[in-house]
Amino acid sequence: MTVDGNALIEYVTRQRWYGAKSRTVIHSDVLDTVVIRQAEPQLTLALVELTYDTGAHDIYQLLFSGSADAGEIDGLAEDAGLARELVSAMRSSLTLQGSQGAAAFQPAQDFTPLGRELGEARLISSEQSNSSVVFDDTLILKVFRRLEPGINPELELLRFLGEHGFRNVPALGGWYEYSGGPLTATLGLLQEYVADGVDGWELALEEIADAPERFLDRLGRLGEVTAQMHTALGSDLNDAAFCPEEPSVESLGLLTATVDEEIARVFLSLPDDDERLAPIAGRGEEVREQLRLLTHAGTTGRVIRTHGDYHLGQTLVSGNDWVILDFEGEPARTLAERRRKRSPLRDVAGMLRSFAYAATAAALTRDADVPDDWEERARWRFLESYLAAVDPTLLPAGDAAIERLLAVFELEKAVYELRYELDNRPDWVVIPVAGIERLMEAAAEAL
Amino acid sequence: MSEQWFERDPLWFKRAVFYEIHIRGFFDGNDDGSGDFRGLIEKLDYLEWLGVDCLWLLPMYESPLRDGGYDISNFFAIHPDYGTVEDFREFVDQAHQRGMRVIADLVMNHTSSDHPWFQESRADPAGPKGDWYVWSDTDERYQDARIIFIDTEPSNWTLDPLRGQYYWHRFFHHQPDLNFDNPEVQEAMLEVLRFWLDLGIDGFRLDAVPYLFERDGTNGENLPESHEYLKRVRAEVDARYPDRVLLAEANQWPEDVVQYFGDGDECHMAFHFPVMPRMFMALRREDATPIYEILDRTPAIPDNCQWGLFLRNHDELTLEMVTDEERDYMYAEYAKDPRMKLNLGIRRRLAPLLDGGFDETQLLHAILFSLPGSPVLYYGDEIGMGDNVYLGDRDGVRTPMHWSGDRNAGFSRADWAQLYLQPLMDPVYGFQAVNVEAQLRTPSSLLRWLQRFIALRKEHPVFGLGSYEPLRGDNPRVFAHIRTWEEDVLLCVHNLARSAQAVQLDLPGYAGTVPVEMLGQTAFPPIGELPYLLTLAPRGFFWFQLRQAEQTP
Repeated sequence: MTVDGNALIEYVTRQRWYGAKSRTVIHSDVLDTVVIRQAEPQLTLALVELTYDTGAHDIYQLLFSGSADAGEIDGLAEDAGLARELVSAMRSSLTLQGSQGAAAFQPAQDFTPLGRELGEARLISSEQSNSSVVFDDTLILKVFRRLEPGINPELELLRFLGEHGFRNVPALGGWYEYSGGPLTATLGLLQEYVADGVDGWELALEEIADAPERFLDRLGRLGEVTAQMHTALGSDLNDAAFCPEEPSVESLGLLTATVDEEIARVFLSLPDDDERLAPIAGRGEEVREQLRLLTHAGTTGRVIRTHGDYHLGQTLVSGNDWVILDFEGEPARTLAERRRKRSPLRDVAGMLRSFAYAATAAALTRDADVPDDWEERARWRFLESYLAAVDPTLLPAGDAAIERLLAVFELEKAVYELRYELDNRPDWVVIPVAGIERLMEAAAEAL
Repeated sequence: MSEQWFERDPLWFKRAVFYEIHIRGFFDGNDDGSGDFRGLIEKLDYLEWLGVDCLWLLPMYESPLRDGGYDISNFFAIHPDYGTVEDFREFVDQAHQRGMRVIADLVMNHTSSDHPWFQESRADPAGPKGDWYVWSDTDERYQDARIIFIDTEPSNWTLDPLRGQYYWHRFFHHQPDLNFDNPEVQEAMLEVLRFWLDLGIDGFRLDAVPYLFERDGTNGENLPESHEYLKRVRAEVDARYPDRVLLAEANQWPEDVVQYFGDGDECHMAFHFPVMPRMFMALRREDATPIYEILDRTPAIPDNCQWGLFLRNHDELTLEMVTDEERDYMYAEYAKDPRMKLNLGIRRRLAPLLDGGFDETQLLHAILFSLPGSPVLYYGDEIGMGDNVYLGDRDGVRTPMHWSGDRNAGFSRADWAQLYLQPLMDPVYGFQAVNVEAQLRTPSSLLRWLQRFIALRKEHPVFGLGSYEPLRGDNPRVFAHIRTWEEDVLLCVHNLARSAQAVQLDLPGYAGTVPVEMLGQTAFPPIGELPYLLTLAPRGFFWFQLRQAEQTP
């Protein structure tokens, strides 16, 4: 296949999923091509390498359509229907050779919708690094654009959770990956599309205003689902990638030192004249002291694979139950970092922080009259059912140790939020400020 | 599976902070009293937190350990105390996943006398390995080559009773030099390199490279033939293994060391040996002149090369690259007890050399980090570990890492008597007083400070990539210079004196800019047309970023 290098650069750098907007591309290379469909309409998978002026590079997945000489650089944008070819390759478990390696397509076991004929296909705008095609409102195919070596955590976790009996995720339909000289990487995956799902964050804002009690009941169930997710993730001692581990002796010390430095940095750069910061202004040393007391002794419990970026925006409510989405982890982190085992309480802390956001956002954006104790009750409902259902051996021993570790993770999140909101959304800065203030009070009581 | 954990970046080593590890002394993963790769893997989270970019391992090969593993008896095997090749592969993989690269020591110049190559060579002079070492009927040849281990070796020649000939050795007599004039030896060493590169290693610290070849009428150091061979090694690496680094250990004057960079086609990095003792000298004399002078004497190097800079390492603090007078001064100041001397050097760790001074330790790190080059830290120095001068050779600076105040310093769960060396227990530097656990918990500790300091350095590529411009103010006790790369202009000012000092710096080209202190982000008064006046605390330093007025905080 002959493709003009400059045209490639121009095309890729214009895309929403192109990740390196601030860099200068000096060269492009087609590393390998794999013909997916020979007959009209043709479809060819291409691994395209962009080289930057610094000597660094990225590899992107493109899907060329049309004939070799006169096709489109990216067929999906032109005709989302072409993506059906990828699904049918999964259905047939094809392995297609390129010149440097091969693309292998795999169906998930026991996934009946894969047998169905695919009708309507539409490209939806989704996260930065993917292109997604929805078929008939029942299946969604995610095509990863910027490729990272190694297995994609979303694929890895969905497959594992499916095999270990956790049902509150969209079922995995299949995937395809490339393996060869340039790299080994997951290229895309097919999932059940939860068409009737309501975004958990949106539902929270709505119900906090209209039916706060109903949402609290839902959170009780969410705690249980989260516990089941963690229990499943920590249930397989024979799989090295998932087996729960004891963290190293230093882990709590390293965590504390990291959070402590972050607190020091944020407080060093706090503006002096912001009313909203009044509850915590000048109290940086006090916060650090609390952190030290919280981590004075103890452990982080065992570490397992986790969701990694857990909050209400990563959930759907479908029927009357929760569906957990997006196991990609925090997008800014490297793939190896996202696959690292951590305490499940880190996920819990993320969810608890998102209740604080929901309460304030409902007041700010929906004019909701949020009861003063709503966040407290939300936390309690979630935690109570979580702790009742989770495998206790994954957590530190004893309620006090759990509370302390949770407080450390929440403080870590709240300090991150404080910096983020100061930089991006000053109106929202009240949320982390209240969170830090609350943690200081709670920590004082817990000690 | 060849997984690329890193973005391709051929010049990564120019911005990297290196960390030197004695595997035996780091962490014992299998409770046998000796550190190993399993243990090292357990401590990778710590090293990642510390922020170092590349781990340099002391030799891990099979060896009778008569010279800390620099006497290799099998280039293709891991010493059984440290684990297996499989453990090593796992370690490299785990380090890569945490964003850290790994280089290892490789001794090309010689092998252990236990190596089968040598045994074959001495037993069968006419056989295939007969010519793999440097043999001679007399001990008269190459008389101009100096003896390096003057404390233990009377000659560079030793008679082998079995073969009835003398063999050549630049180091210990149990370390016969390989004969690089033999093309088979050259090829065999390339085979060794390929073996470890294929396992994923990111490069080598090439031990003792000046001595590969011998020629009559020369001192046997830095010969053109050695450079030619190193260029061949480089070409081999470049062709098949991108993003790797060759770091030359050539304890020589800068004008000789730069030859090891070739035209950017030999070694990527070389240690800058002479600058090291001069930092210590400057500190004692409270005079920046030795540092300025050696940097003035340092030639420019190719753009794709980098100096390796260090304060201390696993060897003695070497005083080969100083004058006799300077050496006497260094001995008088830093080795008051004769036990502290070894060969031409001082076998002490950083903290005891500086009498445990926190300000002095910070100051020397600041100077080290500010100089053009990549800093190399030595394990244990980040917590200010001490040494044991009562142990033989260089073992005193190779005692177990102090992880905590627990049994065996948290280094091993073996019995105390079973440890390869006992951790320090003296009241000042003992593991109860100096350990990772305690310093992690204390925000004002050396460890926590160094972690912040490494992070700060890594935010500014200028330290690795930028130009260096010495600034001689009106006060010789102050070492000041400017580093520039693209828009980033840094002014680094260090007070070597143990008393407060003032200095006036002429900064005509920077009038109108505002110095912003980098650790605390504090804006200082703008630079004007007159000399810029700074006052510094005893052993204090300032690093400023020179910003345009509108960009100041």
